[in-house]
Amino acid sequence: MADKKLQIAIYWGAACGGCDVSILDTNEFILDVDALCDVRLWPLAADGKYKDVEAMADGELDVTIMHGAVRNSENEHMAKLLRQKSKIFVAYGSCAYMGGIPGLANLVPREEIFARAYLDNPSIEPGNRTVPLSETTVNGHDLEIPKFYDRVYKLDQVVDVDYYVPGCPPQPDQCKAAILALVGALTGTAEAPPKGAVVGAFDRALCDDCQRTKTEKKIKRFYRPWQIMQDPDTCLMEQGILCAGSATRSGCGVRCPNSGIPCRGCYGPAPNVLDQGAKLLSAVSSIIDSKDPQEIDQILEGLPDFTSFANRYGVPASLLQRSHRQ
Amino acid sequence: MEDLKIGVYVCNCGTNIAKVVDCDATIESASRLPGVAIARPYKYMCSNPGQEMIVADIREHGLNRVVVAACSPRMHEPTFRKALQQAGVNPYFLEMANIREQCSWVHEDGAVATEKAKALVKAAVLRVARHEPLERRSVDMCPDLLVIGGGIAGMTAALDLADAGSKIYLVERADHLGGNLARVDLTAPYLDSARDMLTDRMTRVVEHPNISLLLNSEVERLEGFVGNFQATIATKARNGNAADQVATVDVGSVVVCTGYKEFDASRITHYGYGKLPNVITSFEFEKMLREGGVETKEGKAPQYVAIIHCVGSRNLEFHAYCSRVCCMTALKYAHEVKSAVPGAYVSDIYIDMHAFGKGHEDFYRRSSEVKTLFLMYAKDDYPVIRRADAKDDCEMLIEVNESLSGETIEIPADMVILMVGMEARDDWADVAHLVNISGDKDGWFIESHPKLDPVATTTDGIYIAGACQAPKDIPDSVAQARAAAARILGRIAKGKLEIDAVFAEVDEDKCSGCRMCNELCPYTAIEFDAEKKRSHIISALCKACGACVAACPSGAIAARHFTDAQIFAQIEGVLA
Repeated sequence: MADKKLQIAIYWGAACGGCDVSILDTNEFILDVDALCDVRLWPLAADGKYKDVEAMADGELDVTIMHGAVRNSENEHMAKLLRQKSKIFVAYGSCAYMGGIPGLANLVPREEIFARAYLDNPSIEPGNRTVPLSETTVNGHDLEIPKFYDRVYKLDQVVDVDYYVPGCPPQPDQCKAAILALVGALTGTAEAPPKGAVVGAFDRALCDDCQRTKTEKKIKRFYRPWQIMQDPDTCLMEQGILCAGSATRSGCGVRCPNSGIPCRGCYGPAPNVLDQGAKLLSAVSSIIDSKDPQEIDQILEGLPDFTSFANRYGVPASLLQRSHRQ
Repeated sequence: MEDLKIGVYVCNCGTNIAKVVDCDATIESASRLPGVAIARPYKYMCSNPGQEMIVADIREHGLNRVVVAACSPRMHEPTFRKALQQAGVNPYFLEMANIREQCSWVHEDGAVATEKAKALVKAAVLRVARHEPLERRSVDMCPDLLVIGGGIAGMTAALDLADAGSKIYLVERADHLGGNLARVDLTAPYLDSARDMLTDRMTRVVEHPNISLLLNSEVERLEGFVGNFQATIATKARNGNAADQVATVDVGSVVVCTGYKEFDASRITHYGYGKLPNVITSFEFEKMLREGGVETKEGKAPQYVAIIHCVGSRNLEFHAYCSRVCCMTALKYAHEVKSAVPGAYVSDIYIDMHAFGKGHEDFYRRSSEVKTLFLMYAKDDYPVIRRADAKDDCEMLIEVNESLSGETIEIPADMVILMVGMEARDDWADVAHLVNISGDKDGWFIESHPKLDPVATTTDGIYIAGACQAPKDIPDSVAQARAAAARILGRIAKGKLEIDAVFAEVDEDKCSGCRMCNELCPYTAIEFDAEKKRSHIISALCKACGACVAACPSGAIAARHFTDAQIFAQIEGVLA
């Protein structure tokens, strides 16, 4: 490239689009990005077609930032294609990093999802039995849509990933820091982070940065945030408000707990944690203040759908990866 | 790292393992696993030739890891660790696969059991490859001691240890020594005086230069760990207006001898205790004896004395256990009544006569010979006491469904003695919490092993003696106190304490100070550094139970020898 600008692509898989917005949320910094980079593909903000990407030489792109999980064949195809064309491949945001909210679908089989979405949904017209098929024929024409997989994958279960940027979405400051780190590495002005590194986040758990006062924990009752007048200075977990901060990587700026909302774990497992949900399960069960089975059951009733809480952003990244119920 | 050279040894355990598990097939499968240099069977791996085989192979083949597929590691892990050490290999480079308790003893189908044995051996091989060398460490042992409770057990332990040269802090809540024994007159079965027995010991305790006797005192706090405890003791001021004196002392071990309290007879309404004036408890009768006169509330010598056994004991409604001392005490009363009121009739109403101690059966026989009327009643079929009519020549009448004759018998009584059982003190849970030991469902403190380690507890450095552990008589209390003293002296003699190399550690970089783990440790090994905002594990206290490791949400706590990598390797081996 004549102007020696960095060649970048930003693409999405199974995603809500919030990650794209988080990049735009860096405000005028985006102009610096534009000055430094040629954006060769960014469906949300710029242009680019499949065939443009296919036409690129392998490694022609310096960086691909991909957000979203892999839910269907199009996600996988594009992830593989962009990987092939890129020097550095970044999994951006919780879905790409861990499966994210779409990954919760791994708690149920595909058939159940389809039944719920297309057959048993109250908003479906009575008698409608139409379910999407990946291949169908209409008026003699063969039509194709991406194949809906049986489960959701996080990005590195499908392609080789160089770096991870966590968050749902990543905080704009952290997005900026991550982009600057990559630019630094590519232009030789800074040392490249080791392959597989989590960039744009800290190397410690969220509680470390949370200013709420923490004491010994014993829980007699769990509350949803709206069920209790919370003390703004005391650890939420101690007040019985389930908070994922202790098992979650810091880097978000403690935004949720600082606003009276418990951490939901979007920055993924803390550095030493293998399975964020399992760790939370084991931690929470350790602080329930009862030895009486009946009372424990009663206390647990305050925790509706614990799995979806503890693995909210990372079912595909957990040890079990999906429900194995037969 | 040097190349792995794993030796796998499959024990036949005579026929214990070999009769179900195909040991040759297990060896064959193990020999194909990565890193395995040698795989051999032997009839008894734990025997001397078995251990020598491991030592010789290590020397000859340069093995650096060993897997022994045999029995439970609870049984022989120390044995094989020693063998590795003898051969110059770190003892923690051993892993055992339990193919006896987990395989041959629980399965009948040999083919399936053999597959399981192969899987367990594979798990052990994959795990041992990830073992790290660990070193035991030693800490200083403070020779001084804290004894809690100044009854017969506490005084005995204190004297034995003080005589050996240790400095003892003997803490007693009451204003005098002696505990419950100080409330007793004579003792069964030899009718020795409790007072004589105690006076000698009390004098020695008071005068002993190595014993600091702290009466009117309670231990408020105990911190630290074995060999290095700090005890805070509060002594009540004699003058009500003055402040309590609080002192902190350093001790290496603690002996808990807090004793028991007697069952509250008014909880059993059948006997009219508290309503019928001449229904009294055994302790009230002892008081009478000590004061020198057996008489009814009306000041008369009782002609008919009835003794009822198992009041509050051996009864599902109150205490299911036997209080162990009441039967012989009741026989003692028969003697004492006869000597105080010659010609008095004594009825002894019992469930079973428990006379298991030394000299007890003879005592029972002698008591039968002094014309005591023995009446047996069935558990839960309480004798019924009612006031006698004016025409009767006694105060009360007791109706007993006598088991041996099968008849309902009514006997006269001027005085009824209720043999109240022993129960844990009301504040047993506070004491247990203070020194970090546990109590059983009845509140008796739990020993480390019911048979083999009856004076130690699950907290290293804390010992129990006397009736706080379970109902027991004087000889047993004294024996336990002296056993505790001997155990402690053994450790003091060594001067240093060896600490197992397996314990949990906090990675301070990863700890977020969330304090999730702080309350979990059953050994109170976790402390919180408020300044650094980090939790810390006192390794000398840690027993590597893993509770904090599992709970730590940020994965900052890891247990040596039980790392994630080791456990996952093991799981992989079992599943493969």
